[in-house]
Amino acid sequence: MNSRSISVLLIYLGLLAYAVVTLFPLLWMVITAMKSGRELFRLPPSLVPDLLMAGTPFVNFAAVFDKAGFLGAVLNSMLVATLAAFGQLITCSLAGFVFANLRNRVFTAIYVLLLSTMFFPTEVTLIPEFLLFRQLGWLDTLLPLIVPSFFVGAFGTLMMTEFFKSIPFEIEEAAILDGASSFGIFKDIYVPFGAPALASLFLVAFIANWDEVLRPVIFNSSPEVRTLPQFLLDFVGQYESQWTVLLAGSFLATLPLIMIYIGCQKWVVAGFARSSLK
Amino acid sequence: MNAVQRHHLRIAWWMILPCTIGLVCFRLFPILASFLISFTDWNIIGVPEFVGLNNYIQALTSPLGVKVLLNTFQYALVYVPLATILGFSLALLVDTGIKGVVFFRTLYFLPFITATVAVAISWKWMFATRFGILNAFLSWLYLSDPIAWLSNPNVALISVAVVMVWKDTGFYMVLFLAGLQTIDRTLIEAAKLDGANRFAIVRDIILPQLAPMTFFVVLIAMINSAKTFEATISLTNGGPNNASTTLGYAIYQNAFVHFDMGLASAQSWVLCLIVGGISLLHYRLQQRKA
Repeated sequence: MNSRSISVLLIYLGLLAYAVVTLFPLLWMVITAMKSGRELFRLPPSLVPDLLMAGTPFVNFAAVFDKAGFLGAVLNSMLVATLAAFGQLITCSLAGFVFANLRNRVFTAIYVLLLSTMFFPTEVTLIPEFLLFRQLGWLDTLLPLIVPSFFVGAFGTLMMTEFFKSIPFEIEEAAILDGASSFGIFKDIYVPFGAPALASLFLVAFIANWDEVLRPVIFNSSPEVRTLPQFLLDFVGQYESQWTVLLAGSFLATLPLIMIYIGCQKWVVAGFARSSLK
Repeated sequence: MNAVQRHHLRIAWWMILPCTIGLVCFRLFPILASFLISFTDWNIIGVPEFVGLNNYIQALTSPLGVKVLLNTFQYALVYVPLATILGFSLALLVDTGIKGVVFFRTLYFLPFITATVAVAISWKWMFATRFGILNAFLSWLYLSDPIAWLSNPNVALISVAVVMVWKDTGFYMVLFLAGLQTIDRTLIEAAKLDGANRFAIVRDIILPQLAPMTFFVVLIAMINSAKTFEATISLTNGGPNNASTTLGYAIYQNAFVHFDMGLASAQSWVLCLIVGGISLLHYRLQQRKA
């Protein structure tokens, strides 16, 4: 063997080793979710799940749906993640259109203020937001998780502004001569042109909102408005020993994100990379 | 102002209205209010009482406050180097462009987009002292006695950090890959022609050229480690005996478990100063280079 093929072999070994590290916790989640309650506490732990061998691998997955509140939590998470991501599209693209086109003193001030809020971690705004939502009577509803996304998104606005800036000035000029309104230009030129950035923004916002724990835990405590992460946390507290069902639920909670990632990999990775590189 | 801008100006105010309302209601007002609350003693029900810098003194000097800061520092000491070095190594491996590398790149990023609570719960089961798979591995390999990953105060914080390293490494890999794209490839080709080995190329060409990105990744990792919350609430609830309580979790705990709004607000401003300080440092160093 020459030195080149040895180094290729070493690279593959490295790649494989970390692939095992990456996959194992996810795999173990699925394997455990396919074990019976008795098999779960066998020592040493079995690597092949008994329910799979018995031909009934999905018993625990079905059992999750029988747990009070699981289906509701799925719907709540879907609703929150979809609407919050959609809200980001609207507010960020509208604001991006203005900031990319117009720079007077007031617009610049708003833009700078908006971007400077990115330096403040969520933790800072949490308590006053709690007070605000309590005053509005929004606690224990899904509104605190959805409404702010329709109004403000610093990163998304920055991203759309930068993206819209690259639209050639001449196209707009021609459209105006043809009698297009500003909103028409926004709708017919900017939105289609910005589609890749909008797709990335939607996916990143969807994943982030699906994953959000802190805000739901603080703003909502009643079972009807729990999101999936909340449901799982409560499950741990309630039925500590039912790991098989719990891990089946955990897998179901992460499955939509995995599917989105596999389907739209390029946009997801680009969106997250951009969200930090700015 | 040109014709296009004049044309847009009429409607611009309406388009920017939601953003302005949101900025004031959900950002500027809360930031200001939180700053004021941090100087009060307030249990959220009664009347806030002005106490000057007491909360900040408590956050920075009380035994528990110091413990939280030390924990945050220790957590960063585990998380930042591990995540950075792993992310960098994976980027190098993936950047070799050999066959099948796209699959590995896709796979490595996967943990980053999984739901944190869900995967943390899976890790919690792996960490189980008696029935967990990690201790089973240790005993199969005759490496050590079972470790109480989450209930030993000396280990719990490290366990939480390891889970987050596992989750975030793929993200840092993507950042390093973006950095690698900017490197002048002809330098590497020339070095290869001169007979330089892979190690020398990494040390003498890639590392120096990647320095700005490395620095950036370290800063992002530091900020992320100060804010960690999801893994903590899923794995340890900050325990045992606050051994794994870092700043991000302490703020939640003080505000919404102990209802000490003043202290929690003060701690959130300490966090803010850490994040802001790190960002400012980055900005300054970038300016100096440019």
